[in-house]
Amino acid sequence: MISVHNLVFRYPHGGFRLGVPALDVAAGERLAIVGASGSGKTTLLDLLAGIRVSGAGSVTVAGEELSRLTDAARRSFRLGRIGLVFQAFELLEYLTVRENLLLPFRISPALSQDAETDDRLIRLAEETGIAGRLHRYPDQLSQGERQRAAICRALIASPDLILADEPTGNLDPDNKRRVLELLLEQVENHGATLVMVTHDQDLLEPFDRVLEMRDLDGAKAA
Amino acid sequence: MSLRMLICGCASVLLGLTGCQRADEEAGTAPAPPISDAKLTVYAVNYPLAWMARRIGGESVRVLLPIPEGVDPAHWQPSPETVLEYQRADLVLLNGAGYAGWIEFASLPPGRLVDTARGLEDRFVAAGDVTHSHGPAGEHDHADVASHTWVDPDLAAHQARAIAGAFGRLRPELGDDFRQGLALLETDLARLGERLAAAFRGWPDAGVLYSHPVYQYLDARYGLEGWSMTWEPGEDPGPAEWEALAARIADKPAVVMLWEGEPLPETADRLRRMGIEPVVFRTGAAAPAAGDFLQLMEENLARLVEVDVARAGGDH
Amino acid sequence: MKDILYLAWRYLVFNRWKTGILIAALTVIIFLPLALELVLDRSSERLRARAADTPLLFGAPGSALELSLGALYFSGESPAPLEYAAVAELGDTGLATAIPLHLGYRVGLQPLVGTSPDYFRFRNLAVAAGRPLALSGETVLGAAAAQALDAAPGDGVVTAPESVFDVTGTYPVRLRVVGVLAPTGTPDDEAVFVDVRTAWIIGGIGHGHENLEDPTASGSVLKRDDSNIVANAALVQYREITPENLAEFHFHGAIDGFPLSAVIAVPADGKSGVLLEGRYQAPDSPVRVVRPAEVMEELLATVFTVRQYVLAAVALVGAATLATIALVFLLSIRLRRAEIRTMTRIGAAPGRVAAILGTEILLVLAASVLLAGLLTAAAATWGDEMFRWLLLSET
Repeated sequence: MISVHNLVFRYPHGGFRLGVPALDVAAGERLAIVGASGSGKTTLLDLLAGIRVSGAGSVTVAGEELSRLTDAARRSFRLGRIGLVFQAFELLEYLTVRENLLLPFRISPALSQDAETDDRLIRLAEETGIAGRLHRYPDQLSQGERQRAAICRALIASPDLILADEPTGNLDPDNKRRVLELLLEQVENHGATLVMVTHDQDLLEPFDRVLEMRDLDGAKAA
Repeated sequence: MSLRMLICGCASVLLGLTGCQRADEEAGTAPAPPISDAKLTVYAVNYPLAWMARRIGGESVRVLLPIPEGVDPAHWQPSPETVLEYQRADLVLLNGAGYAGWIEFASLPPGRLVDTARGLEDRFVAAGDVTHSHGPAGEHDHADVASHTWVDPDLAAHQARAIAGAFGRLRPELGDDFRQGLALLETDLARLGERLAAAFRGWPDAGVLYSHPVYQYLDARYGLEGWSMTWEPGEDPGPAEWEALAARIADKPAVVMLWEGEPLPETADRLRRMGIEPVVFRTGAAAPAAGDFLQLMEENLARLVEVDVARAGGDH
Repeated sequence: MKDILYLAWRYLVFNRWKTGILIAALTVIIFLPLALELVLDRSSERLRARAADTPLLFGAPGSALELSLGALYFSGESPAPLEYAAVAELGDTGLATAIPLHLGYRVGLQPLVGTSPDYFRFRNLAVAAGRPLALSGETVLGAAAAQALDAAPGDGVVTAPESVFDVTGTYPVRLRVVGVLAPTGTPDDEAVFVDVRTAWIIGGIGHGHENLEDPTASGSVLKRDDSNIVANAALVQYREITPENLAEFHFHGAIDGFPLSAVIAVPADGKSGVLLEGRYQAPDSPVRVVRPAEVMEELLATVFTVRQYVLAAVALVGAATLATIALVFLLSIRLRRAEIRTMTRIGAAPGRVAAILGTEILLVLAASVLLAGLLTAAAATWGDEMFRWLLLSET
């Protein structure tokens, strides 16, 4: 699913440098990447999502080398093939939960709803326990419910890859575990690949592989 | 609220408002404009004015006097609908001198009113009615003037000239016709005046009474020095009035009494027994049943000349 | 496009207070100058038309503006009176038709206008219900007056006493409504029309009372002699003129001396108008003549000068408001950085995000323009009445 080769990324203002000689993630794999704050976890996810483009090396996702795509093509690819889950949920406060779940279809003409979109939405909402919250606004949901809604948004377009950046970072301990279980369950149900960045060591047990950021310069399985 | 609904709602309101026009003049009954065709439409308040208008205007005028038969024009009160007819006239001929009290409280266009007695104010005669006053120091008292001006042919001629002048101002192109009509009328009135003067010769010395106060201008013109009762032709005057008359003639004898219409036979007989000859002298305020104003005056003259005032009063 | 519109719409609706305030502010700065121009243009057009339709006004020496406002719009202080003889004098010239006007009294809040039948033809006033004035004591109501007084032909309306506390002032008189005029969109709609003689009766110059010669009125007689009867304070005076008591009404004094507020002179032609003006130009003339059109032009010139200052002030305020609104939008975008980042990271093109934000601005603008348009339409419908009320209402 993912193949990174001699990736070198520098921020435009200089300073931070990320170098990943090699990283391969198999389809359906559940990979956790851990590291200290500022180690480049989010940057790596951005590079895997095609949000940023490396100056050197290659990032290939689902057979597409992202650096060779145009910006528009990358965005379309991301919308259709990659789901993103953020630490701060990042639901739009002025849209209902239902509208937030359908946001990917509204922000780009590249993705359009079909006859099954609604069914998929209902099913996701039921499976994540937020079916009764679809007409509420994010500020009317608990933190756990908001993250579940974010997870549903990430899955609404049936992506091949889920990139989750500290999805449990803002949750209390009970919710952390529940949300993680839910995420893993949905990833498995949809046959997607999961790359999750976290600094929480207690959550690593269900993952197939855990990588340390400091080891990615010569990445090896933890 | 859906966006589509809001846009449609606002559009509807906007269209409704812009389509809403201020109410323009609706179809209704306009205050009827003057009847203006080639003929002047002239309304009068009494028969003499109507007669003079026809004499002067001829075929160029349509003269109307919508007073019902048998009604005294001086006391006639037209209906509002009739007043509206007067409003539509090109000219309304007023007698002046307070004649036809209804004029005072009718809504008529001042520009189309012709006060035919205007200019005769110094020749007005007091009516001799009882006045009334009220308010501090009697400041609101008033007195009436006699209104049957046309009975004096000279005053009638003045009124005729006022009519002709009004016609000429509205139809200057017909001025010559009007002047011709006026001239003929003035000639007739002058002749009438002379004949009345001849008929009334000797009357002042004989003593003249009037059944009703409508002869003031006749009295003034011919110096008759008469005195008015307030008797009606079709009614018995009553004991008080007979007594008043007796007291009057005891003070100043009279031999003839002019009447607007035929007195009751018993009234006439009693008058004759008192040495007073009743003589019918119609003023012509209302349209006669037959003939015109001049013919009516001819009939009056015929009755006048039958009375020999020198011998009248000698049989009682 | 639909999705962009939708997201923009949802943001605006969710933040309805902010959106409402922005729309209100923009609406005001769009509407104010439009409304001012519209109201002034239309109102001045109507005022000019009314004045232009009135060739000449005759009145007592004094303020030409007061005379014009009173005679044309029945507003302001009643002009100083001139004598009714002026009507005959004017008619005698043969140069114009004279239409008397008596002003100053009211029925409720509606101005009472005493005039003659020529007025209705002059102003093209048609009766929509009932009939025109025929007799004293009758009244014909303007369309708006009929509504305000809730009166129709057959009803009665009562004049307002000139002064509640003035015991020697005029007493209320009941008038019989015989007609209601069709609406015209002019001050005539507000008026209660009577014959000028009725106005004199209301003013106490004419009156009706029981016949003192009638024996039944003996209680009202103070003293009597052969030629005169003096009434006492018990004299019953009629407060309504009816066909039954019309004969008991009378005026005291010569009608030529009775008061009028103004006389409208309708010249036969242009030359007649000039000749007429020339006759009354003497400084010591007891009657002055004005051309209402000229008087109103002077008044409107003053109003338009003030308008320029007002527009300048509105422009300044508008510029400041626009700058403030722009600042609000910029600050809003800063506050929404996280939201913008989310959309971008999910897959929205920068142009798309910009389009959503821009559409929000356009929607606010569109709503403001629409609202300003509605308000302007409302101003077009009712603005000239408001302007006339503001300009011409009594203080």
